[in-house]
Amino acid sequence: MPSLSYLVARLLQIIPTFLLVMVFIFLLVRMLPGDPAIAMAEAKATDAQVVQIRRNLGLDQPLPVQFMVFVKNTLSGDLGRSIMMKAPVSEVILSRLPTTIFLSLYAVALAVLLAGPLAFLAAMRANTTTDVVIRGVFQVGLSMPVFYIGLVLLTVLAAQLRWFPVGGYGTTFLGNLHHLMLPALSVALYTSAIIVRNLRASLIEVLDADYVQFARAKGLTPRIVMTRHVLRNALVSTVTLLGLSIGNLMSGTLVTETVFAIPGVGRLMLEAIFARDYPLIQGLTLTFAVMVSVVFLLTDVVQSLLDPRLRKS
Amino acid sequence: MKRFLPLLLGAALGFGAATSALAIERGGSMTFARYDDSTVIDPVWADRNPDLWMITSLYETLLRNGADGAIEPGLAESYAVAGDGKSISLKLRDGLKFSDGSAITGDDVVFSLDRARNPDGPWGGLLGSVEKVTAEGGKVTLSLKQPDPTIPSILATFNTGIVSKAAFEKASGSNDQEKAKAYFDNNPVTSGPFTMKSRVAGSSMSFARNPNYWRAGEDGKSLPYLDGVDFVVIPDDATRILKLQAGEVDVAEFIPFARVGELSGDASLKMELFPSTRIIYAPINTRDTRKDGSKNPLADLKVRQALNYATDKNMLIKLVTFDTGKPMTSLMSAATQLHYGPEPLYPYNPEKAKQLLAEAGADGGLDITFTTLAGSADDATLFTALQQMWAPLGVNLKVEQVDNPTRGAKNRNGEFDIHTYGWANDVNDPAQVTGWLGYYKQRQAVGTGWNNQEFNTLFEASNSEVDPAKRKDEYKRMQEIYAAEAPLLFLYETPFAVAVSKSLENYVQTPLGANDFSEAWRAK
Amino acid sequence: MSALGHTSQRRPNRLLAFLGRAFARPSFVIGFAIIACSILLALCPQVFAPYDPLAFDMTAIQQPPSLAHPFGTDNFGRDVLSRVIWAYRVDMQMALLATIFALTIGVTAGAFVGYYGGIADTIFGRCVDAIITFPFLVLVIAIVAVLGPGLVNMYIAITMVNWVYYARLTRAEIMTQKANDYAAAGRVLGFSDRRIIFRHLLPNAISPVIVYWMTDMALAILLGSSLGYLGLGAQPPAAEWGVLISEGRNFLLTAWWMSLMPGVAIVLTGLGFSLLGDALADLLRAKGR
Repeated sequence: MPSLSYLVARLLQIIPTFLLVMVFIFLLVRMLPGDPAIAMAEAKATDAQVVQIRRNLGLDQPLPVQFMVFVKNTLSGDLGRSIMMKAPVSEVILSRLPTTIFLSLYAVALAVLLAGPLAFLAAMRANTTTDVVIRGVFQVGLSMPVFYIGLVLLTVLAAQLRWFPVGGYGTTFLGNLHHLMLPALSVALYTSAIIVRNLRASLIEVLDADYVQFARAKGLTPRIVMTRHVLRNALVSTVTLLGLSIGNLMSGTLVTETVFAIPGVGRLMLEAIFARDYPLIQGLTLTFAVMVSVVFLLTDVVQSLLDPRLRKS
Repeated sequence: MKRFLPLLLGAALGFGAATSALAIERGGSMTFARYDDSTVIDPVWADRNPDLWMITSLYETLLRNGADGAIEPGLAESYAVAGDGKSISLKLRDGLKFSDGSAITGDDVVFSLDRARNPDGPWGGLLGSVEKVTAEGGKVTLSLKQPDPTIPSILATFNTGIVSKAAFEKASGSNDQEKAKAYFDNNPVTSGPFTMKSRVAGSSMSFARNPNYWRAGEDGKSLPYLDGVDFVVIPDDATRILKLQAGEVDVAEFIPFARVGELSGDASLKMELFPSTRIIYAPINTRDTRKDGSKNPLADLKVRQALNYATDKNMLIKLVTFDTGKPMTSLMSAATQLHYGPEPLYPYNPEKAKQLLAEAGADGGLDITFTTLAGSADDATLFTALQQMWAPLGVNLKVEQVDNPTRGAKNRNGEFDIHTYGWANDVNDPAQVTGWLGYYKQRQAVGTGWNNQEFNTLFEASNSEVDPAKRKDEYKRMQEIYAAEAPLLFLYETPFAVAVSKSLENYVQTPLGANDFSEAWRAK
Repeated sequence: MSALGHTSQRRPNRLLAFLGRAFARPSFVIGFAIIACSILLALCPQVFAPYDPLAFDMTAIQQPPSLAHPFGTDNFGRDVLSRVIWAYRVDMQMALLATIFALTIGVTAGAFVGYYGGIADTIFGRCVDAIITFPFLVLVIAIVAVLGPGLVNMYIAITMVNWVYYARLTRAEIMTQKANDYAAAGRVLGFSDRRIIFRHLLPNAISPVIVYWMTDMALAILLGSSLGYLGLGAQPPAAEWGVLISEGRNFLLTAWWMSLMPGVAIVLTGLGFSLLGDALADLLRAKGR
């Protein structure tokens, strides 16, 4: 296990990161043209009403004052009230977060199930037709825009063949697995394509490596060589990769959730940006930051569990 | 005193005759795929269409908009305007009940209207002329500061929907807005045809039949016919249509016009094009200088007229609306009350456009930026077509794609040449759209900076004109001035395109956009 | 000085040998061929496109693929093949310009913090974390919204986010290389830090960056297309694959060619970059041994 002091150090590192994220997002949303008052009043407010809405939202205060209020409230656990949803930001986010987490984990699981075995196959038969076909197919997944894959999957598998429902999500765990199959698949295609590429490369490298050759020479059975040496090393690189791609995964859900009508935080973020819902954008960004940080931390821990050499550094 | 009974009878008879071939059936529910979720369906605080268009399903108004735009009775069986125009009295029907069985009283009406007058609410201004609302038993009186011919229309508008005073006051929250949200979130007591059964924010919502709703159906029993309406939120157009085609929902709203032809050919569907008050237009910046200080060629009336003549509206209607739209004949849609517009504005005439540009001394080439909504297929098509149409005149049209709030900010700062915009009336009266598009003091004439003294004076006068004939004349004159002055690129009117499953009858989207499920029924 | 002269003399031979090994690999040959053709199309689309990509033809709206229009026509009667070909110019430009500045900035920054470490490295680490904890697309959308849509602003937005990945990669490589003997030797000989970094460490650390760059160019096209789809990338009426797909998505069933053909172009180009990247990775690994 990684030492306690290491974990504490990693956690302490998160604090300045979060402060940076807070400053950054605070300024970024306020640099966006338009403001919540205009977005809200886009329909029919008079000029006088827009001024009034700005005052009610505290947007007429100087920026430093607004920032201090934001920091103070955030530190005391209050993310403010969503302008668009007319409800507390934390409540809005918490009601949407589980769906996105479920979708992401589902996509990762699918990606690993899909990519793992095929990457092994491709690596064992490197530079054969099998290898080329596997890589080619996944390349298609990597090169197709998510919105297009999603639409094609929906048209063929849901609307025509009726294997899956068109969009939405279920009420039970199994219902969710069924409902979210297509969106998870369209995210997974992309992620699995990245896994296949890298896993294949690292497997080839490991298979060639001296210590594996040595183990073989020692007369260890292929299975033992595989599980003890090759698999473990391949896992390290896959875990690292999955950890790193969490950001991409989150970006993927932005579009996927819109195409598949899934009420998750990705779609919420897009809506919040278009509504200039400052408190909600800020709250969502911090949520993303927490999630990504947690995933990075977990990645570190898993890595050091799998590979004792990494524990020292 | 106006009596509605004969009128109502006539409407019922006419309705009965039209649908006599089909006997209505009661029961069952329908599933409706919508483009966005409701956040707070409250008469006073709702400010987005997905909220506004659902309000009258939950909250009944004192008066109602009839099919032909006439005002019909609602919770009030009659209304009367005083001779000096400074007060309006209404008589509530007997035996009205909220969904929880409690009686709808004059107190509830006063409470609801007082809430609606809150100047902080987005719609408070609509009741700005009201000084006081009082009730004596079933008789409700609105005292006005000055005569206001729009009040009956406003009393038929969502913002004056009647809520239960007793139930609303129990809702938690430190101010009216928070209470409204809490009320909405906790199965509110309603006065309209439906009640809220359940809701999952961002995803789905269910309405159940309100057994105490006052209006009677064709079979003499109370409306609505359906036991409930279920809503699913599907923001993506293509996905929404797929959901309908897969038979998972009965209705999909906001069908892109590009798909109308294809869906019309689908035997299991009815492709409805509901008449609307929706107009698509492009405000032109008429200020002398642009925001960056350079001279604005569009300040010249002749240039604005030339661009209008150079725009082939019929071609746009074909390309963007796939022949579902129609050209604008006035600043307001033809379905608006007091509309005046005998013929389409600025019929396509490139010769005249060329001549006008020459007269304006602008035939040496113009650089104009056209601001569109990013990601909108319609806007992209519109730009592409306009660029081609205007190029022979030496107009170099550049595109600038922005998102909605950016476009709003540019409009409000006067930081644009021409940009796309759309509008649908919320009120069954021309004052709302006319004030928005043309009255300088309200919105600088939809951000164009067009400030016409005669128009402004006429508008102010019409707002307290009690004589319907005089008001009609004022509106005619305003529409003539506006058309001649061309502060807009007049484009087209579009219907609401809704695809409905064959088994569902009588779902209606009103010209104001409201979703009306009260008389929908399902054939078994 | 003598060391430098020595390497520059040997470079052509090494390059030739490298290319010889490269062209012996089918994946490199195919990848190279695809990218070379793409570059050719991007440089002179007017030679290959049979029609004007912007010309309307109201008499030939949404024609299915035929001899006259091999990829069919769109809702304005424009020739889809010509539009796909002209889009090569925009998309190949996107692949290059959206990545090259990120690469330059990222590699330079990564090399310096990797070499010096200390407080610069700590600050760098926190900035990188802050940028990476942002969802990529959100950040790009926000920056594009601030700057205004359009290709140049899109490049700026992508660069502002993307340099981090190059920097991280380079930093890690430099830190490994720094421990090697020749870096120490350079310091003993009194070479300047800049010279050690750019002449000695970087050339040895650059290969994973190049491999990543290949993938990144494919990703840039994809990202640019997503932004085009959202209306934040290339501006109409310019042809860009993402824009073409989004123009065609309302006609997925009635005029499938409008979205499929540009989709095929994206996949093919992405495949080209990936094959090149994979082949380079294999080659450089073999060379490193």
